[in-house]
Amino acid sequence: MSGVWIISENRRQSLELLNIGRQLADKMGTHAAALLYQDREHAGDCVSHGADEVMLLPPLSSEQPAESCIPVILEEAKKGDPELILLSATPRGKNMAALLAARLNAGLVSSCTQIDYDEGSKTLVMERLAYGGAAVQKAVCSARPAMATIPPRTYETAMPKTGRQGNIRELPSPPPSAIKVIERKVKAKEAKDISEARVVVCVGRGIEKAEDLTIARQLAEAVSGSIGCTRPIAEELHWLPEELCIGLSGIQVKPDLYLGIGVSGQVQHVTGIRNAKVIAVVNKDENAPIFKAADFGIVGDLYDVVPKLISELKK
Amino acid sequence: MPTVIACFKWVIDEAYIRRSPSGDLDFSSVDYKIGEYDRNAIEEAVRLKETAGAKAIAVTVGMPEAAKGVKDALSRGIDEAYFIADSSFGNLDSSQTALILGEVIRNRIEQYDVILCGEGSSDLYAQQVGPRLAEQLGIPCISFVQKLSLAKDQLVAERRVEEGIEVITSPLPALVTVLPDINVPRIPGVKDTLMAGKKPTVKITKDDLPPLSEPLLRTISLTSSRLERSCERFGTDAAEIARFVGSLRKKGAIG
Repeated sequence: MSGVWIISENRRQSLELLNIGRQLADKMGTHAAALLYQDREHAGDCVSHGADEVMLLPPLSSEQPAESCIPVILEEAKKGDPELILLSATPRGKNMAALLAARLNAGLVSSCTQIDYDEGSKTLVMERLAYGGAAVQKAVCSARPAMATIPPRTYETAMPKTGRQGNIRELPSPPPSAIKVIERKVKAKEAKDISEARVVVCVGRGIEKAEDLTIARQLAEAVSGSIGCTRPIAEELHWLPEELCIGLSGIQVKPDLYLGIGVSGQVQHVTGIRNAKVIAVVNKDENAPIFKAADFGIVGDLYDVVPKLISELKK
Repeated sequence: MPTVIACFKWVIDEAYIRRSPSGDLDFSSVDYKIGEYDRNAIEEAVRLKETAGAKAIAVTVGMPEAAKGVKDALSRGIDEAYFIADSSFGNLDSSQTALILGEVIRNRIEQYDVILCGEGSSDLYAQQVGPRLAEQLGIPCISFVQKLSLAKDQLVAERRVEEGIEVITSPLPALVTVLPDINVPRIPGVKDTLMAGKKPTVKITKDDLPPLSEPLLRTISLTSSRLERSCERFGTDAAEIARFVGSLRKKGAIG
């Protein structure tokens, strides 16, 4: 047995992971399998999007955490002996991946942004960022299976093909787990999803008071953009919700335009915007590192510059 | 009295990494620090000491130079430290670090209730040592926690997941990895730093440990991540603002 496995909690993750998973399986001359541990409804979609096999875990009771599936997944992985296992780099996916890697005695490349298969040496070379985004680390796993977690939206969703066949099978129920979920709080979806936004206006510590966010909102309105922020604004000052926090440990955005106002440009933050097409910034400190990461920069006080920008944009 | 262990890593401060003209990473003027996220783990251990009467222990694996980090951790309110050091411990992979930590915690600290780790190290940020260590010790792992409390024989944790928050209960002992928003790490004062020197540190060397396992992840290269940007500067008068907006339009960045 062998194969490229994707282990996923929802449809979008499955289809993104199947895109790269199917490509790699073809190069490696093996099959692709999907193991679904949360949302089971899209098993058929996994087949049409490239999975030769789909393994389904039974629905969990409300107090069972996703991790209770690990013993079952482990058993299947020992039987199936995959060459590569991919999961999404979401909080749950990263935790599941590390726990599985520990038990499989496998190497794991976290938040992997590129995977190449070298057909000559038959090795998988995986790329990720390190040192807060200042460095690119290339690594190989030295034991089988190789494992990686891939940030959501790194790959597009796979294209469906009609007439694809695949085997769908049920896995046994997981054993009871020592840890229990006693409550689930679903976050209110009031904040716009900035990872999809075409224009992002990002607020940094240069903003002096919470009330002054108004001028950022006015600027966002003028460019039909969404508001995002740096880590201190969300996590220390709590002026904006944590799901708007852009950076290595937050959301990674890829808009046509990133417009940073009062953003200093710490590496962790810059990593979250490196895929923006155009980066434009306003900061009064001409030595702020953000200017080195920007295409266009205005050196000036945002309280002076932003109103001028808004009126110019409205012309 | 519960015992709480905080694990930390003494890391290169990435703000000091430069790019040489040839595009290589330049580590010549770097400074070191306790990893950003590990400071939250240390702070949480000290908070549990203050609120639940716990004993707070810190453990680190690293190069002998990490002695500075041990003192830093002690000055942040930790009661005692275990310092596992060798000049070959500078580039361990997550599995090796977890194995060494597990070995020391199992054999040297017999009784413990909670192990705290940061959500990831701020140098390589692989986010694996916590879960791998929990597996080594055969204890539950609750990752990405933003709120933690200890009750009788169990802990209650709020952890972040894709859809929102899960409130988890777990029997003790358990391992918890913490998010930066769980607390605000204190800044040690002069008195704290002086006190730190008097606190006990257990030094453990490579000879006290079983032979090192092979790494499961091999780094084949570490290069500067190039950000090709034009870095054009603009002033603040009307003509410059117009030129700035014009540049955005020309690039198709705005309609």
